[in-house]
Amino acid sequence: MAIRVTLDRILLDRRMSLTDLSDKVGVTLANLSILKTGKAKAIRFSTLNALCRVLECQPGEILSYEPSADDALEEAGDQAAE
Amino acid sequence: MKALGRDSVASIVRIGLNVVWGVLWFLAICLGLAAVCYGAFLILSATGAIGSDVLTGDNHLRINGENVGFGDIAGYTWPVLVPAFLIGAVAIGGSLMIVWRLRRLFDSFSSGEPFRKENANHLRAIWMTMLGIEISRYVLLGLTGVLMAATHSTFAESADFEVRIDFSTWGSILILIVLAEVFREGARLKEEQELTI
Repeated sequence: MAIRVTLDRILLDRRMSLTDLSDKVGVTLANLSILKTGKAKAIRFSTLNALCRVLECQPGEILSYEPSADDALEEAGDQAAE
Repeated sequence: MKALGRDSVASIVRIGLNVVWGVLWFLAICLGLAAVCYGAFLILSATGAIGSDVLTGDNHLRINGENVGFGDIAGYTWPVLVPAFLIGAVAIGGSLMIVWRLRRLFDSFSSGEPFRKENANHLRAIWMTMLGIEISRYVLLGLTGVLMAATHSTFAESADFEVRIDFSTWGSILILIVLAEVFREGARLKEEQELTI
């Protein structure tokens, strides 16, 4: 997926462990681990809201877009359809 | 009584499937033994290895005072019996595969987690097996007709061919195709839900 979760970088900046974040946000450590490793399929606004509140950041600091090979193929398909 | 989970209808069906599994293996062994015995019987009668005390002088077996040819005992000649063994083997082999898949499905239902990708694969394998059994049944029945016509000169003239389509089987296959896709979509949605943080 082209959306990258940069949670580990923010946690490093804030000198906060994943366990601390889990306690403060109210999301299980297992789910935060899924989010951090990029295995998550979707993120709820409520989770994003809680993360931004605790980490005192903007959603854009947690998520970033990096085009992947799939996106390039999809774009080429869209252009061909047009 | 609940449909899924422990002490549910699914767990009772699972026990029934275990019984069917055992019965099918018994039938498979019986069919295998019968096929081996018939094969040995054909070879021995063809080579004349069966002793003269069993056979009468002209290669006939005496049953209840009647001389019966080895090739046509009770009218079941090899062109009938060989395809019949094949039909039986396909039906029992296919049923074993279907019941094995069903057991795995009901294991999953009994544990209360129906929407798994493996279950969709099991359902897909079941409908493909059913399709295979049904098609091979037509092919083997056709083969019986061809063999009978080739070996019995009067059969081709008197035979009354009729193709019977079993709509209930084809209906079941169609339902299973739909169910397999429903389970695949269900498994995908469940995975997506589990990976939504």
